[in-house]
Parts: sequence; C-alpha cells; structure tokens
Amino acid sequence: MTTEEELAHLQKLSSEYEPEATGPLVGERQSSAAITTQYANADPIYRVKTAALPAKYAYFRTCRGDGHCGWRAIAFTYFEALLRVGDASKFGQEEARLMSLGNLLDHIGYSHDIWIDFAESAFELLRKLQLSIEHMDGAAETILLDTFNDEGESMSIITYVKLLASAWVQTHADDFRHFVPMGDVKAYCGNNIEPTQCEADNIGIAALTEALVKPAGFGLEVWYLDRSPGEEINRSFYSESTDHHQMPIQNAPMLRLLYRPGHYDILYKAGDVPQPQQQPLSAQPPLQVHLASSFDDFTPTASNVADVMTMIPGMYNPSGFGQRWASLSYDFSASPASQPQAAPVQPYPTALTPVTPASNSSLDFIIPSHSSHGSQYNTPAHHDLHLDQPPITLPIHPPPPPPVSIDRTAPLTVERGGPFRPSMYELEPGFGSVMQVQPFQTSIFRNSHYNTAHFLNPDFQPEEWSPDGEYSGHKGRHKSHSS
Amino acid sequence: MALSSNVRGNNANATVAQRLQKELMDLMLHPTPGVSAFPSDENMSTWTATIEGPDNTPYSDLTFKLTFDFPANYPYAPPVVLFKTPVYHPNVDFSGRICLDILKDKWSAVYNIGTVLLSLQSLLGEPNNSSPLNGQAAELWDKDPAEYKRLVLARHKAPEELDG
Repeated sequence: MTTEEELAHLQKLSSEYEPEATGPLVGERQSSAAITTQYANADPIYRVKTAALPAKYAYFRTCRGDGHCGWRAIAFTYFEALLRVGDASKFGQEEARLMSLGNLLDHIGYSHDIWIDFAESAFELLRKLQLSIEHMDGAAETILLDTFNDEGESMSIITYVKLLASAWVQTHADDFRHFVPMGDVKAYCGNNIEPTQCEADNIGIAALTEALVKPAGFGLEVWYLDRSPGEEINRSFYSESTDHHQMPIQNAPMLRLLYRPGHYDILYKAGDVPQPQQQPLSAQPPLQVHLASSFDDFTPTASNVADVMTMIPGMYNPSGFGQRWASLSYDFSASPASQPQAAPVQPYPTALTPVTPASNSSLDFIIPSHSSHGSQYNTPAHHDLHLDQPPITLPIHPPPPPPVSIDRTAPLTVERGGPFRPSMYELEPGFGSVMQVQPFQTSIFRNSHYNTAHFLNPDFQPEEWSPDGEYSGHKGRHKSHSS
Repeated sequence: MALSSNVRGNNANATVAQRLQKELMDLMLHPTPGVSAFPSDENMSTWTATIEGPDNTPYSDLTFKLTFDFPANYPYAPPVVLFKTPVYHPNVDFSGRICLDILKDKWSAVYNIGTVLLSLQSLLGEPNNSSPLNGQAAELWDKDPAEYKRLVLARHKAPEELDG
C-alpha cells in the first residue's frame, strides 16, 4: 500500500465511523421535556423548537440509533396503537390480514420458508398481546417493550416490516416509479429497503404506511426537528387513516415519529398515553362495580380508574424496565420541585461574571434586588407597602442597567417559593456547572462579596437610609441577615 | 435491560441454527444445478460449498470450493465467504476474499446460501471491473481474453489438490 492509499483508507474509515449506538432498543416512555433539556445549550433554533415541543407532545420514547430506528419506531408504535385500541379481536384480525399479505411477498419472489420466519415473530407478538388483553393481566405493555428490546425478536419484526414495505413498492410500482432512480422499483428496493443496514426513507415509510398502518385504521405522522427557521417542529410526513370510502376516520390512533436528521424517535400527545392502561381495567366489570359502591362521590368511569392508577407511584411503570435509561433527563421532569432550589444557585456564575468589573452599577441594581428579597423577612405590616413601592429606590440611584432589570423578575418568583435563604456558602455544589434554563438570577447576589454592600467587598459601601422611604427599617434588619 | 447479553446470545445462536437447518433442508430438497453446500461443523456455523464455473466463460468446467462462516446475528449480518480454490478474477483477491455488494452493505436477511452461491457464480462470468481487487485481471478481461484464460487455468487447483 502506498501512503496515498493508506491515507485514503484512513479517510474512508474516519468518514464511515459511527459511534456505537447505546441505550435500549426501545426506551421507556418519558416526558418530552427531556428533549428540551437535551437542546438547552444548543443552537437557538433548536432551543426554541424544543421548548415548544412538550406543550404539544408531552411524551416521547427513544429508539436506539443503530440504523434501524425508523423501521423500529413504526413497528413498535403499530403494536402500541393496537394496544391503545384495546380490542382483543383486533389482534386476530390483523394477523389474518398480514397473513394474506404473504401473497405479496411470495409474488415478488421472496422464499416463503425465509420470510415466514420473520413474519412469525410479528404474529407471535400479536398473539401474546391478544392473550394479555383477554386475560386483562396488564402485562401487554411490558410484553411489547420486552419483545422490542430482544435483539433477535425485534430484528425479525423489523425485517418483516421492511419486506412488507419492499413488496408493497414492487407490487404498486406505478405509485412509486416516478420517485425512484430510472423508475426501477425492484433495484430501488434491493438497494434501499431490503438491505439489513438501511434506514427507513420516505418511500419506505410511505409504503409501510400503506401496507401496515393505514389498513389497521391508524394514521402516521413524522415530525421533523432540524435547524430550518421556525418556532416549531415541522411535519414532514402525514397519512390519515381512511375508511372504505376514503373518508378520514375520526379519532383514529395516530402514530407519531420525531425525526432528527438520521434518527427517529417516537412522540406522543398527552391524550395518546393513558388509554393503553385503562383497557385492561375497563374490560373488568367486577372491579368497576366494586369501586362504584365504595366511593359515593367517585364516578368510576374507565378513564377515572386509569387516572387514579397513574397517580399511584409505581403503578404507572410496572416493569421498572427503563430505570437505567432514565438518568438525568428523567429526574428533570419527575421532580420539578428540585428546580427552584437549584435555579438560584447554579446560574450564579454566568449571571455574575459580566457584572463584576462595574462595581458602581452593581451597587445600583442591588437595591431593588435587596428590597424584593427583603420582603420575605418583613413583618406583615411592612410587607405590602414594600412590595408596592419598589420604584421609590430608583430616583435615588441611577436606573439599573437594562439586562439586570430584566433579570429581576425571575428571582422574585423563585425566591418566594420557599423558606430557603441562600448564602454564599451554598454556592459550592453547583458552582461551575452551567444550567441554562434560567440563566439570569440575581437574588442571591446580595449575599455575595461581589456586592459592594457586602462587608467583604473591597469597595464596601453600606446601604443608606433613605429619608422618604419606609425602607429604613427593614434594610437595617435585613443587613443582619446577610452578614 | 431485563435481558442479560448471555441469554440473548443463546437465543441468537438457537435462531441461527434454526435458520441454517432450514436452509440445509431447502438445499437438500431442491438442489440447484451447479452449486452445493453442506455444514462442516456440528453447530452449523461454518459451511463448505462448491460452485461450477459457468459455461462460455474462462471458468467453464472448473469447480471452486468456498467456505461460509456465519456470524451470531445471521441472517441480520452476511456470512463471511471465502474462495478456498485460488481464483484469478477481478473481484477476488489472492487470499480468496470477495468483493461483492450483497456480501457487504447490500446484504439482506432474505438472502440465503443458495442465492449467495448463484450470485457468486454469475460474478465469475460477469466481473465488476470498475472496482477490482485484482487490477491486472480487470485489465486483461477486455484486452486479452486468451491471456486471461491462461492465467485462470494456471492459478486454478482441482478440489483434490487442496489440503483443506
């Protein structure tokens, strides 16, 4: 090998390198606020788009980015939507329907002996889920997640849906001919759908929607998160379920994927979620009757039962399967209570640094910050007056610099939230970590020796009594708090 | 994850053996003229195969021996296929490694031993000269068929001459 060849080889290796995919093949459903957190430090467009995400799509589920995630996401949500429908007979119908699609696979020349193995994995899962629904054992969701996290089972099902897509394209060549190079659908499928290592593309998704999703009475939409300008994610694919007269079916389950360049995950609206859990219960008359007699003021509709179930810790997630995956992002959504505590401490370094050199201006804005903070420790008599009159300080001192006046609002809400009073010694745990959720927090500034009103500040300047304010009293009192 | 990798590994091996069992059955019941294959160890993970050189090509009347080595995630990854018989061919190197897309990135789980052998058989008669492993062979294929044929025969060894 010459050097040039070696270099070319190394270049090829490096451009083909992909970090090994980690995480479960299909993750636990989690709050989509985790996506917002993930992009907290990213490009502003991503920040804006992901910040708007949780309001519309409350939950999401990760798929491992191993090159199969698009197929996996569609297959998983297909089964999940069947669970959402919750009708045990639907599983049998689907198996019969898919079995009849075997003609397509035979027709385009796949060996029956070979494809039936892959199809059997899908049929077996249908049967298991049907049994679970019939027995109302509540295990269906766990069965589904476990099956898709079994490498062999999930690859088999993925291969099956890919063959379905490929067979659909090839047997509906007229619909797809104009979208593939040279109009050669067979070659296209051989190169872009059938190979084991090929991600779902638009043609594959469209074909699978027609073959698998729509006839089952489901819709499919793909939401695209990229850096294109805009304030929300865009819908890049949409297919409605239609009845025999090509009319859209109302309230049909919708499969939702989140696409980020090169990767698919699963999205849910808040309304998509509770239904799977209510199904086993709603089909259980004795339980409902019992509840009705026990709770007079409690109407035991199916949805109520489900809501109650989700409120019981541990019931929501019987398997505990995704514990490892949960990690940071999970905590973020699960315990919002921890945030007010963390917020004043962690952003401190970022908020403070630009201010430090200008000691005069820091004195200026300290006053409003101080007074607002002081309100917490006031006697009730002073409390109202003080809150109503913060502008009085402003005539005495130069107006606060613009960025700071914006900042003031955020700490107010945080600080009033609890009895926690930060001091300079509490900075250490979060110091240096940059959490951008609320980047500007100044309420704790008054406890800092960067504050010229602090006795450790080299430019120490005690706060002064103002003759025309009621502030004198609590200022003095407050100082004893801080030093 | 609930499944330990060990359990999954065993499952995978069982699936591979099951699938290969099926392929063996198919090859026995529906033999394809010109190709054959049979497991060479008891757990079926390696196979030995033969293909006849296609007629009207420099390889006609020659028999080639190959080995198949099946990964634990077969059929979701291709088998490693090597020519054991030395082959003079643009897409086969001197250690018997083969450059064929369906054995690499275009591998599909619907392919099997039979389809691979048929693809290799047609590759002998229709080399892909745009990305050769053996540049000289690619050049001679068009330029000097007689010399090409001479080199093919010079390199070839009958199966009984091979030690393996």
